[in-house]
Amino acid sequence: MKTHPLRRTLFVALVILLILCCFLAPYAWIVASSFKNQLTLFNDVTPLSWKAFLPVGGTVENYRTLFERTNVLTALLNTAIVAGGQVALTLLLCAMAAYSLTRVRFPGAKIVFVLILLTFLLPIEALMVPLYQVVSGLGLSNTLLGVMIPWIASPFGLFLLKQAFEDLPSELEDAARIDGAGHVRIFFSIILPNVKVPMLTLGLITFLFSWNSFLWPLVIVQDPAKQLIQVAIAQQGSPTQLPNWGETFAGATVATLPLILLFLLLQKYFTQGMTTSGIKG
Amino acid sequence: MADVSLRHVGKTYENARATTIEDLSLDIRSGEFVVLVGPSGCGKSTMLRMIAGLEELSDGQIWIGERRVDELEPRERNIAMVFQNYALYPHMTVAQNMSFGLRLAGMARPEIRRRVEEAAEVLDIAGLLDRRPKQLSGGQRQRVAMGRAMVRDPAVFLFDEPLSNLDAKLRGQMRAEIRRLHKRLKATTVYVTHDQMEAMTLADRVVILHGGRIEQQGTPQELYERPATRFVAGFIGSPTMNFLPAEIVMTDAGPALKLGEATVPAPVAKAEALAERVGQTVEIGVRPEHFLADGDPSFSVVVDMAELLGPTTLVHFTLAGVACSAMLPPERAAGEGERQGVSIVSAWIAIFDPATGRAL
Repeated sequence: MKTHPLRRTLFVALVILLILCCFLAPYAWIVASSFKNQLTLFNDVTPLSWKAFLPVGGTVENYRTLFERTNVLTALLNTAIVAGGQVALTLLLCAMAAYSLTRVRFPGAKIVFVLILLTFLLPIEALMVPLYQVVSGLGLSNTLLGVMIPWIASPFGLFLLKQAFEDLPSELEDAARIDGAGHVRIFFSIILPNVKVPMLTLGLITFLFSWNSFLWPLVIVQDPAKQLIQVAIAQQGSPTQLPNWGETFAGATVATLPLILLFLLLQKYFTQGMTTSGIKG
Repeated sequence: MADVSLRHVGKTYENARATTIEDLSLDIRSGEFVVLVGPSGCGKSTMLRMIAGLEELSDGQIWIGERRVDELEPRERNIAMVFQNYALYPHMTVAQNMSFGLRLAGMARPEIRRRVEEAAEVLDIAGLLDRRPKQLSGGQRQRVAMGRAMVRDPAVFLFDEPLSNLDAKLRGQMRAEIRRLHKRLKATTVYVTHDQMEAMTLADRVVILHGGRIEQQGTPQELYERPATRFVAGFIGSPTMNFLPAEIVMTDAGPALKLGEATVPAPVAKAEALAERVGQTVEIGVRPEHFLADGDPSFSVVVDMAELLGPTTLVHFTLAGVACSAMLPPERAAGEGERQGVSIVSAWIAIFDPATGRAL
C-alpha cells in the first residue's frame, strides 16, 4: 500500500517535533522557572501544566537577587578566562603532539600514542587527589591557571587531530619541504590551515568541557573571587537554608546562555567535525 | 641545468616487504629528459624521492652538478618536483601556491610576481591565478603544479607520475605540453612513470627498473628494437611482444628457428651465436607488428578473435601452443574462426635464453 507523500512528511515532522520537545522541555522549564517565585514554580509542576514551560506571571526578582547578592559576573569572567585559555593551550599542545606522532618519524611513536590514549580510560574522579597534589606542588592551587592546566594535554584532542592529520596527503608536506619549509613552517602554514574544522570542533568541545566543569574547580579553588560559574551557582544559597530554586535556575540560565550562543555560531563546524572525524556522539 | 649522478646508491627498509635498491648507478646529462619506468614496486619513485631528498639513502652518493647533495635538505638541492596528486596547497590561491617557495626564499615581491606571471603565461593559466585548487579541473591543477616547479628555475625537474590521474585524452595533451616545456626550458628532467607509452614518447633516454635495479637503459628506439632481456621486451611495446618456444636447427642457409612444424630463418645478426646452440630450445620474441599476412605464409593459424583498431586489425590466434596476437592490415585480416596465413619478419625476432631471460 502506498503512503501519500504529504501524509508521510507530516508524520515525519510530527515525530521530529516530539523528539525536539523531549530535548527542549528541560531547558524551557529551567528558563521559565527562572522567572517565577518559589511558590508558583512548584504549583505549575504538580500537577504538571503547560504553564511550567512558559514564564507565566514572570518576575525578574531571581535575576536581580542573583546579580546583587552573588559574584556571578566575576564567576562568568573567570570561567571565560579559564575556558578561553584552555581552548588555546589545548589546541596548540594537541596539534603539535598530533603532528609529531603523524609526521615526524621516531622510534616508539606508536607506543607513545597508545600510552597517551590509555590515560583516556582513567575516570576524572580517580585523578583528583594526585592532580591536586601535583598542581598544589606547582604552587598553582587557588589560581585560574591551576584550574585549566591539568586538562590541556587532552588525549581525546590528540586522537581527534591525529586522525585529521593522517587524512592530509603526505605529498603536501613533501611539496612544502621542497619549497623550503621546515617543520615549524609546515605545521603553521600548511598543516593547521587545512585542519580548521577538526580544530574548531576540538575547540568547541574543550570550551564546553571547561565551561561546565564543576568538580575540579570546586577542589582546586577556595577563594570565592576566583570561583567558576558552575561552582558559584551551586554555592549561592546558604548551606543552612533550603535552596531558592528560582535563583538557581536563573543562575543556570545565565551560565548556559554563552554556550548556546557559541554553539549557534559554530554549529556548522561542530557537526561537520563530528561527522568527518567519525566520532559521533 | 645540471648533471645528476647517482653513485652506488642503495636503499634498504626495515620493513622487508618494501622495495630495496642495491648498488644502483646512473648518470643523467645536463638538459637530458630521462624517464624511469617499471612496474609497481620496482623502486622508481623511491629513486626519485632520494634525488629530491625526501627519502634518505642507505648507501652511495647523489651529485647534482658539482655538489654532493645526498646529505642536504630538499630545499638546498635546487630541484623542483611535480607530484602524482599535484600536492597543491588547498588553502592557497594558484598564485600563492606558485610563489610559496619564492616567498620562503625571501625573494623580492616584484620578482616573484614577474616569475609567477611569466610561468602562468607559458602554461596558459594566467586567468586562474586567484582561484583555489578545488576550483580547478585536473588538467589545470597539473599545469599549476608545473608552474610551481617552473618559477623556482631549478637545476633539475622531477616528475612523479604526473599524468596518472588524468583521463586518456588529457594525458596525451599534457604529454605534448611537458615535452614542449622541456624543449623550451632545456632543464634536466627525471620523470617517473609506470606507463611505457609515456616513457617512449617523452624520453631522451628510458631507464627500465625491475626489482630495484636497472634492467636496461637507452633511447626509446634502442629499447624497442634491441631489448636486453625478456622483461624489457615484454614491458616495452603495446600490444606486448609474443613469446614462443623455438628449437634452433641448422639448415643449408644457416641456423633457423623451428616453431611447431614450420621453420623460420634466424636473424642474420644472430646466426653466429645460434650456430653454437643448435639443438637447444630458446624463447623467441615477436612483436605483433612483425607478423605479416602477405607473401608466402610460414604458418596457417585459426583466428580466435579479431579486433579492428582503425588503421590495423589485432588478430588473436594460437601458434606453437601459445596465444599470440598480430597487427595486420584490415583488408588482409581473416575473420573469427577463419584460417589466416602469417609469416614472421625474421630480422626483428628477438631471441632469449630461457634460463637467464637475457637476449642472445
